[in-house]
Amino acid sequence: MTDLSFDDVSITYRSSSSRGDVPAVIDVSLDLPSGSTLGIAGESGSGKSTLVMSALRLLPKSATVTGHVRLGGQDISELSFGQIRAVRWAQASIVFQGALHSLNPVRRVGRQIVEALEHHAKGTWTTPERRRARMLELLREVDLDPAKAEAYPHELSGGQKQRIMIAMALACEPDIIIADEPTTALDVIVQKQILTGLADLVADRGISLLMISHDLAVLSAVCENLAIMKDGRIVEYGPSDDVCLRPREEYTQQLAGAFPQIGDAESRLRPRTAKPAEVRLTDPFTMTDEVVLEAQNLSVTFDTRQGRERAVHGVDLALRRAEILAVVGQSGSGKTTLARSLLGLQETDPGSQIAFAGRPLPRKAKDLRAFRRQVQMVLQDPSGSLNPKRSVYEAVAEGLQVQGLTEDEYAKVIGALEAAELTPAADYLESIPQELSGGQRQRVVIAGALALDPQVLLADEPVASLDASVRGEILSLFLALKKNLGMSALIITHDLGLAWNIADTVAVMKQGEIVEYGPVDTVLADPQHAYTRELLAAVPRLGSQSLVRSGATVPGVAAQDGAAQDGAAQDGAAAVGAAQDGASADVVPPDGTAADAPAPGTAARGVAAQRTADRAGTDDT
Amino acid sequence: MTASTNNPSGPGDPATPNPGDPGTATSGPGTPGPDTSSPAVDGLGTPIDTDEPPKGASFAAYFLRKLGGSAISMILVIVLGFFAFRLLPGDPVLKIAKERPMSPAQIAELRSQYGLDKPLIVQFWDYLVGIVTGNLGESYVYRKPVSALIGEYLGPTLLLTATAAVIAIVLGLWLGQLSAWRRNSLFDKLASSTALVFWSVPTFWLGLILLMVFGGTLQWLPTGGMITPGLDPWSPEAIIDVIRHLILPVITLVAVVYAQFLMVMRASLIEEMSEDYLTTARAKGLTEDEVRRRHAVPNALLPTVTVVFLHLGGLIAGAVTVEAIFSWPGLGKLTFDAISGPDLPLLQGTFVVFSAIIIVMNLAADLVYRWLDPRVRRA
Amino acid sequence: MDNDHRAEAAPESASTPGTQPASPPGTQPASSEGTKPGRSAATRNGAAGFDSAKLIRERRLRSLRRNWRAFRTDTPAMIGAIVLLLFVLMAIFAPVIAPASMLDVTKQLDVPRYAPPSLAHPLGTDDLGREIWARIVWGSRVSLLVGVAATLMSMVIGTLMGLAGGHFTGIVGAVVMRLIDFFLVLPSLLLAIVLSTVLDRGVFTIVVAIGIASWASTARIVRSQTLSVESRLYIERARILGAGHRHILIKHLLPAVMPLVLANTTLMVGSAIIAESTLAFLGLGDPGSESWGTILKNSMDASAATSGYWWYVLPPGIAILLVVLAFTMVGRALEAIINPTLRSSR
Repeated sequence: MTDLSFDDVSITYRSSSSRGDVPAVIDVSLDLPSGSTLGIAGESGSGKSTLVMSALRLLPKSATVTGHVRLGGQDISELSFGQIRAVRWAQASIVFQGALHSLNPVRRVGRQIVEALEHHAKGTWTTPERRRARMLELLREVDLDPAKAEAYPHELSGGQKQRIMIAMALACEPDIIIADEPTTALDVIVQKQILTGLADLVADRGISLLMISHDLAVLSAVCENLAIMKDGRIVEYGPSDDVCLRPREEYTQQLAGAFPQIGDAESRLRPRTAKPAEVRLTDPFTMTDEVVLEAQNLSVTFDTRQGRERAVHGVDLALRRAEILAVVGQSGSGKTTLARSLLGLQETDPGSQIAFAGRPLPRKAKDLRAFRRQVQMVLQDPSGSLNPKRSVYEAVAEGLQVQGLTEDEYAKVIGALEAAELTPAADYLESIPQELSGGQRQRVVIAGALALDPQVLLADEPVASLDASVRGEILSLFLALKKNLGMSALIITHDLGLAWNIADTVAVMKQGEIVEYGPVDTVLADPQHAYTRELLAAVPRLGSQSLVRSGATVPGVAAQDGAAQDGAAQDGAAAVGAAQDGASADVVPPDGTAADAPAPGTAARGVAAQRTADRAGTDDT
Repeated sequence: MTASTNNPSGPGDPATPNPGDPGTATSGPGTPGPDTSSPAVDGLGTPIDTDEPPKGASFAAYFLRKLGGSAISMILVIVLGFFAFRLLPGDPVLKIAKERPMSPAQIAELRSQYGLDKPLIVQFWDYLVGIVTGNLGESYVYRKPVSALIGEYLGPTLLLTATAAVIAIVLGLWLGQLSAWRRNSLFDKLASSTALVFWSVPTFWLGLILLMVFGGTLQWLPTGGMITPGLDPWSPEAIIDVIRHLILPVITLVAVVYAQFLMVMRASLIEEMSEDYLTTARAKGLTEDEVRRRHAVPNALLPTVTVVFLHLGGLIAGAVTVEAIFSWPGLGKLTFDAISGPDLPLLQGTFVVFSAIIIVMNLAADLVYRWLDPRVRRA
Repeated sequence: MDNDHRAEAAPESASTPGTQPASPPGTQPASSEGTKPGRSAATRNGAAGFDSAKLIRERRLRSLRRNWRAFRTDTPAMIGAIVLLLFVLMAIFAPVIAPASMLDVTKQLDVPRYAPPSLAHPLGTDDLGREIWARIVWGSRVSLLVGVAATLMSMVIGTLMGLAGGHFTGIVGAVVMRLIDFFLVLPSLLLAIVLSTVLDRGVFTIVVAIGIASWASTARIVRSQTLSVESRLYIERARILGAGHRHILIKHLLPAVMPLVLANTTLMVGSAIIAESTLAFLGLGDPGSESWGTILKNSMDASAATSGYWWYVLPPGIAILLVVLAFTMVGRALEAIINPTLRSSR
């Protein structure tokens, strides 16, 4: 089997701009012994993708790699292009983010799998018929209908495309699979299926898995060991449970804290964050009985080429003053459509009733404009919600201008920015969105809504596109707005943890209908509907490799399986390489003292050392 | 992509509600409990996926829709072909009268010949009937029915433009993809800058230069016409003779048009080169050549095809001047003669026929596009 | 995949944790001046004090300077710009460079016809004894004027139609789209020929003919850009804030398409100049004024190409080639400058 090791690797991008060279990865050392699983967590820009791409020399020409990347003991920088091509996919394959653009849009997916087999015609698939048979077998292994081989990528769902990617990665029986954000942009339930499937397939075959993600929970649910990357460096490394549940670094604590443990009383109505928003009132607002926004029998039907499709069906909702209501559901459950209809942005079916403060939703454009002073909405992606060419001042004042509320405009803008905790507000006025961080942008969007002094704020996935460390800040801002201003909020999310963090009530939506609706404490503690239970079960938990089938990850078994499967000469070399590596690296015995929790896979423990970090020593104790 | 970019397919995308297929909703991923079909891998077996996009429309529906679009364009051409000559300021007959001296009686005769003395709506009706029955009026210059003239001159034009189009497309796309793949290499710089120069040259001027050098000074090739008079049209000598006549006009047309195709192909392949599926292909161990041929080029062709077919109109425009310069007996020459007349019925006729050719070509482009891009088979 | 390296290449990458205002939002020197009026306005508690228009001006100026720096490093574009400047000066000062009498046929009776280039006649003379170089100097006026004017016209029509086709849904959008598609497939030169045949001869006619015949390609580009901007969340946000069509069109869509239109315009001037020369070559030009196409038409009428009078054919074409190439170079550089912003926000 093949080991993968990064030894003191630094990667720099040459840049033509005035900033000169951009370091992406700095002094990273990591080991992935055969049969082990390692997760690298980091936010966007941490350099994690760059690092793993270097394993197969897939970086663009502008990247300079120093240090050694060894695959089976062989330094890959010494291989010729022909040799590296032979190594690609046959020894190490990659599961890209299939939901996006990693599959060629104009070729049938089956053909794309066969293509990999054609280039590495080792073993049994030497003829077209055998290759086809192998491809169909792979599809069955990832639980896809073999007929899907004839499909084009656009004809598949995100989850199906991800399965195709996994099947493709398994095609040539590689020793190592690198998974690059394999479940980003997938729903929790699909995510769970994909992760479980991937973890099992890898474990059954004794393949090593190197997975990178921004989502600590996803990684810890699958991987034995975790490395946390920040600004190109490894800041923390260790067994998953240690890193997630007992993080040492403040940064890791921040990341781990962003994932609420549903049921954990400490995080209930208290999103964990280093910078909680200030509650200014001694007697803050709490949920009242006064209904401000109400929907009865709300249905929305779309005309499509395939006929009429019902997006929202017979929804009854009531939002009270100073209440935070979370509407939870998967994509396609109709929750966004629901929010749009509450704002009058979406035509509803006859018989639907929406009332604000007891009066029906106005129809005429002018009245609707006035209505929007009362009910505002914050959209999913703060970067997209701000016009890149307009300053913060213009963005916040935009609502005032279109509403004709230009009196005291400056004071209102400042007030709104301060309410959104962007202080000192005057410093931000002339910034353009690109100069702000994601969290700051979301605050600007919220300030734009607050400038109109609305009574109700709708928010569509307000933290979904933000880095984990910012999530808590924005959530605590929503709580503070409720407590300080008595504002009501309806928050659309796929994330039950968000509901646990801030909501008073929760409505679970499935295929356009609300299947369960009630106080958060009741619904999440004692879910009545099967779908709610399924959603709850699919939320990845921090640590403990929760999605790995028990028993399959006993390292010895996996390693034996792998050795039995493949006895190619290459593996001999790999074993030598591993032995050499072992001599220089710190190998901790199975009963290693680092963890008091039973961490599976400690036998294959790698080492991560940020050469300059003070943690380097303690890591090996 | 990074979390900060706008992801249109995100879970909360307001524009594309995807409520799933109601027909299969009963056993979707929402169904609780493990799937029994594959006990070894629990939770992974969900044969029916409600997020799966709906199946595409049939070819017939697509074809009919495109055909309808072309029909509307054709009707607009016919209407424009009428009103452009009737409604614009300036009486066409007076305009002719201004260019060549005429007596009032001649003017009146011309008016009644063009039907200009009748009410507009009657004229329009006569015109429509004429289009349907193939009667496009009588040419003032040639003194022959316009439809007969067009029938006679259509063949040579098709021969000239089709030859030029095929060569320009093959040459342009091939050079374009090579240029893009070897971006900033010497080859790319040479190919791109040559293309830019040709792109900036008026077709007719290039024609004049070629005529001057190869026809005039060197006398290698004939300077005009399609065939040397007196040859039996289908004899081998005649075919070679026609080819010799073809060379200069074809080169002129190709030089100007291939440059556009090259630039379009180059740009769209460069755009395509940063796509993630190429990384997948490289990771699979394909050579750079295979990555280009099998993955990048088929995708880069898609935007190119649309633009290529749009630019074929430019080829037609080029045909007008090129045929005039090389006295090629085609529709372009006819148009040129109609302008110098001015011979309005003839001009009207060539306008409608040229436009019809372009509309048919664009219909063909839509069909080619559908064949190239499986995604269109769904839309 | 997660484009780490791209995110890292951007200094404003969202990874900056926290909201500390430590890093001043505007790192440019102008930023500190910019905040002052804001603060003083706060103390006066007046809305009028905060000069957001001034901030916009400053920001535009900064981005203009940045773009100019990018443009300056593009050698072909700078050469193009200089060539254009020379031609424009030539057109403006034509009466000074070559007195109008040089074109008067009646005053050239003692000048040899078809004189090849020599010291006395730098570019030779034509069939009526006129100096070719003088004709080219005067011809630049019409060629440039028509090129620019026709492009402006087609740009205005194209931008309006493109915006309308991209923004409005329903019947208006469908009709506009159909219209764009129609004019797109219509062979534009042929339409221009028809229009200039039917209308009275003149420079204005040529401008109108080219403008009407060529707006569709601009409309197509503007429409697709409008559609892509239209799908951005900030348009949805503006609607949520209560904005109507006018606000969205003027404040969001128009500024988003303008850079593209500008680059496209520069590229199109070249095509318009070629179209003008083609129309003039076909005899549809303004008979009263000199243009490069007219010179070439005269040379064709005099069979100059086949008779060996190369100086009658080459110079006007080279003039067209130079100007068109120059516009193309400048246009491509502009496109390259605005393209990254288009890409990053896509």
